[in-house]
Amino acid sequence: MKKKAYFKADEAKTGLGVFKGLEVRIGQIVDDEWDEPMGPTPMPNPTKLRAWDHKLLTKYQPSYMPYCQVCCLCTFGKCDLTGDKRGACGIDMKGQQARIVLAAANLGCSAHLAHSRHLIDYLIDEYGPRTALIQGPGTEIHAPVTRLITGMRPRTLEDASIILDYCESQLTHTLSATNTGQEGSWMDFESKVFHVGMVDQLSMEIADLAQVSTLGFPQADPEAPLVESGIGMMDTNKAIILTIGHNIIPAASITDYITEKRVGEEVEVGGMCCTAWDITRRDPKAKVVGPISWQLRFIRSGKADVIVVDEQCVRTDVVSEAKKVKAPVISTSDKAVMGLPDRSDDDVDSIVEELLSGKIDGAYIPDHHKVGEVAVKVALAIKPRRRKMKFFPTKKQIQKMALECTKCSECIRACPNDQNVMEAVLAAQTGNFELLHAVYKNCIGCARCESACPNDYALHSWMAAIGEAECKDERYMVRTGRGAIQDTEIRNVGQPIVFGEIPGVIAHVGCANYPGGGQDVHDMAEEFAKRRYIIVTSGCAAVSAGHVRDENGQTIYERRSGEFDAGCVVNVGSCVANSHIAGAAIKIAAIFAKRNLRGNYVEIADYIHNRVGAVGISWGAMSQKAASIAAGFWRLGVPVIVGPHGSKYRRMLLGNPDDERAWTVYDARTGDRVVTAPGPEHLFYAAETVAEANVMTAKLVLRPNDTGKGRSIKLSHYIDIHEKSYGFFPEDVWKYIRRDTDIPITLKDKILAQMKENKWKERRIPDPTLLKEQIIGGGK
Amino acid sequence: MRPVPWQTGEICGPESAKSLTKSDVLKRDLGKAKKPLLIVGSQAIDEKHGKGDMVDYAIAISKAGNIPVVATGGAIKAFIEKGFEGAKSMGAMELASRLQDPDWKGPHGKGPHDMILIYGIPYYMQWTLLSAVMNFGTHLTAIALGRYYQPHANWSFPNMKEKQYHEILDEILALVGGGK
Repeated sequence: MKKKAYFKADEAKTGLGVFKGLEVRIGQIVDDEWDEPMGPTPMPNPTKLRAWDHKLLTKYQPSYMPYCQVCCLCTFGKCDLTGDKRGACGIDMKGQQARIVLAAANLGCSAHLAHSRHLIDYLIDEYGPRTALIQGPGTEIHAPVTRLITGMRPRTLEDASIILDYCESQLTHTLSATNTGQEGSWMDFESKVFHVGMVDQLSMEIADLAQVSTLGFPQADPEAPLVESGIGMMDTNKAIILTIGHNIIPAASITDYITEKRVGEEVEVGGMCCTAWDITRRDPKAKVVGPISWQLRFIRSGKADVIVVDEQCVRTDVVSEAKKVKAPVISTSDKAVMGLPDRSDDDVDSIVEELLSGKIDGAYIPDHHKVGEVAVKVALAIKPRRRKMKFFPTKKQIQKMALECTKCSECIRACPNDQNVMEAVLAAQTGNFELLHAVYKNCIGCARCESACPNDYALHSWMAAIGEAECKDERYMVRTGRGAIQDTEIRNVGQPIVFGEIPGVIAHVGCANYPGGGQDVHDMAEEFAKRRYIIVTSGCAAVSAGHVRDENGQTIYERRSGEFDAGCVVNVGSCVANSHIAGAAIKIAAIFAKRNLRGNYVEIADYIHNRVGAVGISWGAMSQKAASIAAGFWRLGVPVIVGPHGSKYRRMLLGNPDDERAWTVYDARTGDRVVTAPGPEHLFYAAETVAEANVMTAKLVLRPNDTGKGRSIKLSHYIDIHEKSYGFFPEDVWKYIRRDTDIPITLKDKILAQMKENKWKERRIPDPTLLKEQIIGGGK
Repeated sequence: MRPVPWQTGEICGPESAKSLTKSDVLKRDLGKAKKPLLIVGSQAIDEKHGKGDMVDYAIAISKAGNIPVVATGGAIKAFIEKGFEGAKSMGAMELASRLQDPDWKGPHGKGPHDMILIYGIPYYMQWTLLSAVMNFGTHLTAIALGRYYQPHANWSFPNMKEKQYHEILDEILALVGGGK
């Protein structure tokens, strides 16, 4: 394998002397120690895997639900695209919707990729380009996503940098396809969506691999520590620094400074969103305050003395919100400067002084070495005076203000979840705060109700004030991110997963735009964990899953092991750790089926699609990043379910269960075309309710390769969940019966009757593949 | 006054639904429809109508007009619990897709349908479903029977006051031959 190497150093001392601003490029490096043969598609360009994408997109046709029916991207427009109209550039409605989906996936990928690039550059500066990349013990197949896509084994940070070069070039191409007068076919837009999703998965793996290798995170550790989480866990006797975002580096400088100066008894750090997971992976004394949707309620509580933001999912009004509670903000990323003055070149004490005096609301400090010192010094100095301040209104004040409500309903109309905020305000007029409390429980923290209120009521603060007493009880123990799954774990579960005896791997990932509160994530995870599915979590969903205690006061992470095994709940970590979920599926093909990974994307995706009963669920999917993460799984043939707000991604990828031809596969043993049941029936699906999501989850783990025993186990769960959720026996069970051995014994009579009614005929269980070239003998 | 979407950001494109302020305006379309389909979402279970709820209303409409019902998001359970056997279950997103096919026979096999009556799906999700129908299911007349304005339907209530809304629902039931 040939690859280019490049490194730079501000100052390098060598035998020849001291070099300043040194940059070295080494033309080619040859990885001649890897005996695995190179597959057909190392570092594919945007059209190299097009044929595979088209197979999937024919099976799972996009169903568009235009979210905007005009195009306003160029000065030809706005163009009305309704019905069969075309825009001035020639694009039609389907093409335009696919184009916007691609734009969203590009945006999402760019966020992870830029994050990854920042990490790699920073870590090369800090530790040197030859620093080893280590995923942890028992991970001989380290970086499976990278191996699969690039044909490279990334062994050092400079390897990681080369892989990011590839990612950046691909993102440029897929982004350029959205420009006016480029791509025109919805099918090819969608193929590029898959491509950029794949690139996103690669950049995420590189990011997590680099930080796991260098920053002291758990390394593929099923016993990653339990850490404190919840607003009630934050100790207000100490100064509190709140970190928000996804990039560990600035937050790490804070925890490092606290450790170095031994001030842990006086100051503590809590994180929100993925930074929370990554700081606790580095320092288990740090705390996970909550998911992204809690940003505003925690900032407004005034508990945070200093707020440090890095990148992604940060509220863009963080400076003005922090100003209301007199908390200085430090922005640290060139992607989210937040309008703050650049203090990079100033000495620490002068920055601290300006922040304490209130002369500036905050500072942009991209020099991460300074961030820790500034944040800690400011937090310690400002805490005594801030603790005397009250920021939430009292109940009496709320009651008085509520009397002026004009009953305009604008707060309800602005609420994404149609919560009856107005009724809660009217109840508050009489001193009844129960309804405000109910709204607080399900609030996603967007504060659109406030923006809409003609009286400028701080409605979100009212809710949070009423919920404040409960906040004190928001105390949970959650398992921090373990990183990758070990090869040995895959060895133990590979066969039962592929044969269907472990009924599925369910990954709860993504954002916190929940339709009815975060408890739904926990309930879904628990429902399937108790049925001995493997549950994987990451990101904000991993936080929400852990924010429910049972009657013994335990969270799901305390009750269940962190191993990758049946009935366990495995938190891999932050958003970028999602790549380990894909990695686990890929490693099943390598370890259990002994398939080559190296540059061999299509064969492995075909294997996963037909054999590995994995389903991703992003119940609160909100961002473009969630879209690109999903796209990475689609290209691997893994179905993804989102909550009802996910319908706003404006297109689903749905199979048609009535179209028998769509469900035929090749039997790799004979080359025959064999009809299978619709499994997985859909590739991207928004569920309206938890009940629907549960039924669909149980159904989407079905795969053509299931053994009789595996199929019967999967069907038992599907039928049970269907009956529990929908109140009747599912009508399509007969379709999934290939032979008698597929029939769950306890339900035999009902199923046999259904089979008879539908004139069922026995079918063979194929060695399934969508690829002609996978037929023994090459399909010739 | 021109109706506006209930969720204020959910503005529509150049075309939008006609305002349904009197039941009479539906006479012509309901009379013309040969194979309507009633779509009922999960929120119908918790929404009151008269002495019952919006699931009872769906049953009444279905029986009066001989209109098959498809329940989304698990609403089917409420129909079964009420002893109504004329409902089938599908996902809202599956419906959004299948309704685009003018030859689709529908969940009961009684189609192809030429009209949908719809309510009870979360507002924004129904908004997207109806957008699919408006743009790609143009063989269908879409009547939104929820209280709030759905711009992508052909007919929709214009964010109506609750009392008036339920009165018109009863009038629509009478139009299809029910409520006696």
